[in-house]
Amino acid sequence: MADEIVVGSDAKGDCRISAAPAKVTAVEVTTGDPHLFERGIREVVDETLAKLGRVRADVAVADQGALDYVLAARVEAAVRLMSPGTGAQAPKAIVPETRRRPSEQDAPRRSRLYAPGNSPRILVGIELHGADCVLVDLEDSVPPAEKAAARVLVKHLLTAIDFPNEVWVRINPLSLGGADDVREVLLARPHGVALPKAESKDDILALAKELADAERAVGAPRGSTWIMPILETGKGVLHAEEIASADPRVVAVAFGAEDYTRDVGARRTPEALLFARSMIVAAAKAAGVQASDTVYANVDDETGLAAEAKLARDLGFDGKGAIHPAQVPALHAAFTPSEKEMEEARKIVAAAEEAEARGIGAIAIGGKMIDRPVLERAKRAIKLAERLGSRRASPVDGCDGREARR
Amino acid sequence: MKNALGREIPKTIGSRSVEPYAGAFAKKRSGLKAPQPQKSCVPGENKVLPSLEAAIEAAGLKSGMTISFHHSFREGDRVINQVVDACARMGLKDLRLLPTALFGTHAKLVDHIKAGVVSRIEGSMNGPVGAYISQGGKLREPATLRSHGGRWRAIESGDVEIDVAFIAASQADAYGNANGINGRTPCGPITFCIVDAQHAKKTVVVTNDLAPYPAYPLEIQQGWVDYVVVVDEVGDPAQIASGTLEMTKSPARLRIARLAADAVVASPYFREGLSFQGGAGGVSLAATMYLAEAMEKAKIVGGFVMGGGTRVMVEMLHKGLVRTILDGQAFDPIAVASLGKDPAHVIMNPGLYANYDSRGCATYMLDAAFLGATEVDLDFNVNVNTHSDGQLLHGIGGHQDVAAGAKMTVITAPSIRGRLPVILDRVTTVTTPGEVVDVIVTERGLAVNPKRGDLKECLLAAGLPVRDLAEIKAEADGLVRPLGKPVFGDEVIAAIEWRDGTVIDVVRKVEGWQ
Repeated sequence: MADEIVVGSDAKGDCRISAAPAKVTAVEVTTGDPHLFERGIREVVDETLAKLGRVRADVAVADQGALDYVLAARVEAAVRLMSPGTGAQAPKAIVPETRRRPSEQDAPRRSRLYAPGNSPRILVGIELHGADCVLVDLEDSVPPAEKAAARVLVKHLLTAIDFPNEVWVRINPLSLGGADDVREVLLARPHGVALPKAESKDDILALAKELADAERAVGAPRGSTWIMPILETGKGVLHAEEIASADPRVVAVAFGAEDYTRDVGARRTPEALLFARSMIVAAAKAAGVQASDTVYANVDDETGLAAEAKLARDLGFDGKGAIHPAQVPALHAAFTPSEKEMEEARKIVAAAEEAEARGIGAIAIGGKMIDRPVLERAKRAIKLAERLGSRRASPVDGCDGREARR
Repeated sequence: MKNALGREIPKTIGSRSVEPYAGAFAKKRSGLKAPQPQKSCVPGENKVLPSLEAAIEAAGLKSGMTISFHHSFREGDRVINQVVDACARMGLKDLRLLPTALFGTHAKLVDHIKAGVVSRIEGSMNGPVGAYISQGGKLREPATLRSHGGRWRAIESGDVEIDVAFIAASQADAYGNANGINGRTPCGPITFCIVDAQHAKKTVVVTNDLAPYPAYPLEIQQGWVDYVVVVDEVGDPAQIASGTLEMTKSPARLRIARLAADAVVASPYFREGLSFQGGAGGVSLAATMYLAEAMEKAKIVGGFVMGGGTRVMVEMLHKGLVRTILDGQAFDPIAVASLGKDPAHVIMNPGLYANYDSRGCATYMLDAAFLGATEVDLDFNVNVNTHSDGQLLHGIGGHQDVAAGAKMTVITAPSIRGRLPVILDRVTTVTTPGEVVDVIVTERGLAVNPKRGDLKECLLAAGLPVRDLAEIKAEADGLVRPLGKPVFGDEVIAAIEWRDGTVIDVVRKVEGWQ
């Protein structure tokens, strides 16, 4: 068929949808076990077509174990990309019902776990690994030809899955399809949008305007979508301060070392990245927002990951990127205050409270003066620990010597 | 009639009368085992015969009789096909096969079933033979599936009689001593069929490597063996691993493995001397590795690790993380190589590790075990035999024996495979009853059998994501529309025996769909 549009793939967990305009709609399904799956797949396809309006198309589904939301996304993308029949209008995007757990400006973001936005095999279950932020990517990991389908898939993913923590979308730069990304994915209300290659205050303001428009279109409160600029060029790093403070939507500033080293001609050594890292931390903290370090690319090197996470923590970062779920625990270990730090923090806060109660300006522990920023840091650590504590019971040891079943 | 799990079981299946499953340890037996054949022997007897045909002839194998095999070569086995081909050439019909298991490589048995050479099978049917039977292929009697320990018990007690046992050996001497450890193509222990050799009316050792007397280790002993046949090929050791060597890379499966290991670490059994069963397959391998890491960190030395031997277990032994490996079948070449060398890598047999009617099972000494599942249900029952479409595709293996024995049986399974939910209201077939299952681990969290409140407390205290199984089920079900359901007829195609010889469930023929 000349006008046939093909969306999706033959990868496990995905499906391939071929769609072409037709006089009468016909759906053909191939799947591993038709007895078990065909009826359910047809239901999803029919419902999706109905939501898209009066579409007439030949739709062929080659299923590889796709979940319902993947099927729906693939069908929607294929039909919307299909050239409409003569006189007909291209169908509009499906506006799903989405419930999103609320998040806060300074929610814990120790890990931001990347996942490619057009790969169901990797996206399915991505919410289960405990990452503070799941960051679904529409930029570098999605080839240009798949961008349109990826947007739709991400929208359906965000609608179908109740993310326990935050879910973000990394869009493309606004000039390269980012505005389309915003319009589509905002329909499913991500907690925030990460902007790659941010270089100026204007970049942030332009995105904020797109977000405001999209929020109005879906009836969401203005300003309810966070922004995380990713600084990954020399210019972006030098403008860190104006970027971090550009808009109240900015809650964290992230560093992207891969592009940065390419941009400035550096090799990726801790020394070569030190200036950019420190610059970003200083700018973020000056603006009262979080700083998030770059990803560690070698999934198999746990020691290297732990060392780099510790370095980032030492420099003042609040979190770090992960390219595989297996990296998340190491990041959480690095960016969660240790028991010793917590003890210290509680002492400092107690001393401050006591000083205040007694009307003393200066805070001291054992004759050592405590500065204001130290107190602030202690309070932040306690708040972070409280938030994490409310998220899940803290690990404790015990359970020795209990009776066995038999 | 209904058995203790509420499963509808016919009073008779084929020509056997059925005793329904009454509980995991309800059955009590005492008395004498079935007699073993006896034959005196004089010096100078020659046991070596020139061909399988000659052995079949000499053993007096006739139509309608029972022949048995082991599966230690797994996908690489070449003996079952050679023997049944020879029987077919000799015009034998109506044979009953009693393999420890069948694999994809035995697909050609389907032709022998169609031709009437084979008319009954009692043994695990992994793959094409199971599929053929499920899809309407006829056997004269429904198949019987038994666990490793169950099969040993059935032979020893006389429930099933063997006319001729054919034992593939990578090395044997002319007097019949045989093993799977040495020779040109070692496959690991061949001890599954010690009981065959002892009880069969005739025993034939089939080898491709005839060694000077005595061939050792003495897995199969001369006193049980009537004939020795040398063939070109008994099996391809490269194929014993068949997918079991690969560590999984899937984040969901790694998460399951991590949670499974964490659950054991959080349990009271995680202490000096910890013993556990680590199987093959991606998740079990990964869970074993995570557990090994935790043991190393906590400076705990394990008592023994049991299972099909794997590279991971051998590494644990070499690192001093565990004192002993008890190995019933090798799952990869590294385990095979280690068996011949390391005295702490001990060969065991199903009689030792799993026989219900014995005075002790090694599985009863296990603290923890990782086992898989095709389906689980809200009563914690596990199915490893049939798919959700009703097809009989897998054997029981040691699943029942290990689950029944271990103090903490951990079932690892994804909550959903593709579009197929794994947690059901009722499993299609019960292989292992919920009574002996303690924890089910999915990528969405762990569920603890309500019987094990003590264990649940420990896992909760360790901060593990303990959840209600029904809640995990609902979450997975929410991802896909309901599946089509098979409608089963009355015709029974297979009986699933519990390890004590009672019938825990039957597999019925699929007659339609709703």
